[in-house]
Amino acid sequence: MTDLLELLLSASASGCIYGLMALAYLLILRPTGIVNFAVGEWAMIGAFATVILSMKLGLPSVLAIPGAALVLAVLGWLTEWSVVRPLVVRGAGHLAPILVLLGMLVIYHQAMLLYFGGDQEPLDGPFGFRRVELGPLAGTPQSFFIIVATVAVFGAVWLFFERTVWGKSFEAVAINRRAAALMGINLRLVTALAFAGGAAVAGLAGLLDAPRGSVEVNMALPLAIQGFSALVIGGVHRVEGAILGGIILAFAEDLTRRYAPIPSGLALGVTPTLLIVFLLVRPTGLLRAKAAG
Amino acid sequence: MTAARKSLIEVRGLTKRFGGLIAVDGLDFALGEGEVLGLIGPNGAGKSTTFNVLTGGYPASAGSVRLDGEEMLGLPPHRIAARGIMRTFQHNMPFEGMSVADNVLVGAHATMRSGLIPVLLGAGAARMEERAARKRADELIDFVGLGEFRDAAVTTLSFGQGRLLETARALAGEPRIMLFDEPAAGLTPSECDRLAEIVRGIAARGISILLIEHDMRFLLPLADRVVVLNFGRKIADGAPDEIRADPAVVDAYLGEAGGVGAAAGSRAGRPDA
Amino acid sequence: MGGAPAQWWLRWVAATAALCVLPFVLQPYELDLYRKLLFWVALAVSYNFLFGITGQMALSHFAFAGIGGYTVVILLTQADLGLGPAIVAALLLAAVLAFIVSFAATRLEGFYLALATLAFAQLLIIVLDEGGTLTGGTGGLTNYALPTVLGLRIDGPWYALVMVGVLLGTLAILLRIDRSWFGRACRAVRDNSEAAAAMGVDVARTKIVAFTLTSVMAAAAGMVYAFFDNTVNPPVFGIENAFLLLFMVIVGGSGSHAGAIVGAVLLKMSQDILEPVVGHYHALGFGIVVVAAILFQPKGLIGAWDNFRRRMKARR
Repeated sequence: MTDLLELLLSASASGCIYGLMALAYLLILRPTGIVNFAVGEWAMIGAFATVILSMKLGLPSVLAIPGAALVLAVLGWLTEWSVVRPLVVRGAGHLAPILVLLGMLVIYHQAMLLYFGGDQEPLDGPFGFRRVELGPLAGTPQSFFIIVATVAVFGAVWLFFERTVWGKSFEAVAINRRAAALMGINLRLVTALAFAGGAAVAGLAGLLDAPRGSVEVNMALPLAIQGFSALVIGGVHRVEGAILGGIILAFAEDLTRRYAPIPSGLALGVTPTLLIVFLLVRPTGLLRAKAAG
Repeated sequence: MTAARKSLIEVRGLTKRFGGLIAVDGLDFALGEGEVLGLIGPNGAGKSTTFNVLTGGYPASAGSVRLDGEEMLGLPPHRIAARGIMRTFQHNMPFEGMSVADNVLVGAHATMRSGLIPVLLGAGAARMEERAARKRADELIDFVGLGEFRDAAVTTLSFGQGRLLETARALAGEPRIMLFDEPAAGLTPSECDRLAEIVRGIAARGISILLIEHDMRFLLPLADRVVVLNFGRKIADGAPDEIRADPAVVDAYLGEAGGVGAAAGSRAGRPDA
Repeated sequence: MGGAPAQWWLRWVAATAALCVLPFVLQPYELDLYRKLLFWVALAVSYNFLFGITGQMALSHFAFAGIGGYTVVILLTQADLGLGPAIVAALLLAAVLAFIVSFAATRLEGFYLALATLAFAQLLIIVLDEGGTLTGGTGGLTNYALPTVLGLRIDGPWYALVMVGVLLGTLAILLRIDRSWFGRACRAVRDNSEAAAAMGVDVARTKIVAFTLTSVMAAAAGMVYAFFDNTVNPPVFGIENAFLLLFMVIVGGSGSHAGAIVGAVLLKMSQDILEPVVGHYHALGFGIVVVAAILFQPKGLIGAWDNFRRRMKARR
């Protein structure tokens, strides 16, 4: 029984990571319609940034983590400004930004490989390694931290969309770009913020996940795929969908790996299979858009 | 001109609901062979909805649309085209990655009978069909007056020229029936005149035409008959002169600025009616 | 391709001759690079038809090459089929799988299709990795060789001619159908599928045919590849190469057959030249080139060439 609970905790933590990745996609996708596959690289860069800030420069986590998020936000902003905006301004169609971001994916990936090599770097979580027990649940402190941090991030994003003027303008742009522009909403600022925010969230996902394993350049692509799968499962229209999709995906993966009578290598097929099934059967995801009102 | 024509398209009881909103309500009308029929009405009257149902864009909620006696409702757009009904788009939808000539040739798609294997093998019949289609496309490009733009990229065309391309492309399908979606929208007065000439030329070839249009000055001289919609229902059906004088029609348009006779001309980017 | 038919034929004959003579004058090491280059060009040409002309952004192309390669080797070595039947069976299997996957293409657009086909490619890799003795697992299959054909052993430069044949066959087929109602239908589906349908194009059927045809072509190339080094293993058919293929088409000029050839030759040869010198980091250069292409010359190198020619003509 404790076994199962530990598994549930660990799966929940994974689900939170996937949910954060899905949120990163969503923050950019909703106002701009652009699917940014490079969020996986951003997650990886967030982890490396934290390694530098906390392990190499010795900053405490309370500074290193926001610091890394800030670095990513700036990187996201720069990316939007340098390669996405020219395409949007030029009216280059919906495929061009997606393709240019694939090019950026390779640039980020190779640049990081150049600098850090293929080695794995350790990253210590802010709360150490000893087992923590919270009632019947037990696990690493990092797992608890991930869940708490994710709830905080989602809470903040939800509040942003529901309660602030800026958040509402994001929604407006998502619903109808032209109308939003006509109402005076600064499209460029919204897009830039979307990229900055998406990058920061992706960076957080990476740095939160890293202490559970290690930091390496190759963590990027799997996270990108898992995040996208979570997005598709949960639904593109609501922030809650991102975390729901993440949890479902993580649970499906971990429960299958643990209890299904198949070789562990095949369990890797859970994510792609779920992605395909959802894309074909229910592409809009589990959660529908909120009714207008 | 008032002799009874054979009905090519018969619309009976056509109804389209969007949730609680009834966009089209029990519409009956017919398009006769060789006839130019105008479909008019104020904003929100249901013209575009009717058009979209006829072209397979939406399913109907009720009613029937028969071509030559055969039910057409529920057919996907490419099947409707195969039946000889071709259309233009109000907002011009050219294929931007192809030349003007190739755009027109796509219009001829439904008429190309050669299978992929004969094409692959370079069979004589396939090549002849391709040559004939190219010749026809060139003729149509000249007919609408885009001759000098034959090999140009469509992105270089003006809006009015794009409208001419829409027309040539649809004609390439050798239709029996042409559906025009607000063809005058966005055109300058001289472009309107040119288009009206082209429409007359198409009618002269024996093709039946259904025009939905907002611009009365463009439509009334062209149409043999006019059907007037308001709030999704037909309120009048007759010759242009009768329609002009019909009190119900004048009433419906008095809600619009100016009324029937003075209805404004070209409007670029009109919202859908 | 303008010019009188005679000129056109001459170009084809000359190109074919050059391609066929080259293997016999190259050093063995260069010959190996040449054959792989032809393989990439063949894949790029068929991928260009799928992505550049029909607008289907699929990432499954390399997966189908893998299906072709693996199937023919498995049937030869483990099912004891002759070469002919093995090839036919492998092509059929690829066609059936492509047909099934193509239904996804009819329901998904843009990047969603890319991810769905990527997931399919990932599943294939997993199946290959876990396939035990059937697929050779993560190490793949080795220890096989091309059987003799009519008593003749085909290897070395002669085998390169097989790749030349598959490449030219792919190109010839695609060029032919491109200049027909089908090619125009594919481009119409790419540019505006709503208008295409209104003009009578069966959009779903067009996508299915394009997807199945080009995927089978990829499988055919994969079959030839399997006997280059007499080894097939999973990583070759994975994500990295799928992206590289996409980049080749974009840089060369998406939608243009010549562009696909140019892009493939340029990127593959750059890789061959740079990799021994700067190692894996040549890929950074590719990323930069792709971003530059999309930002500054979206029509690719072919587009740049066309612009140049037009400006030259205008000067006269």
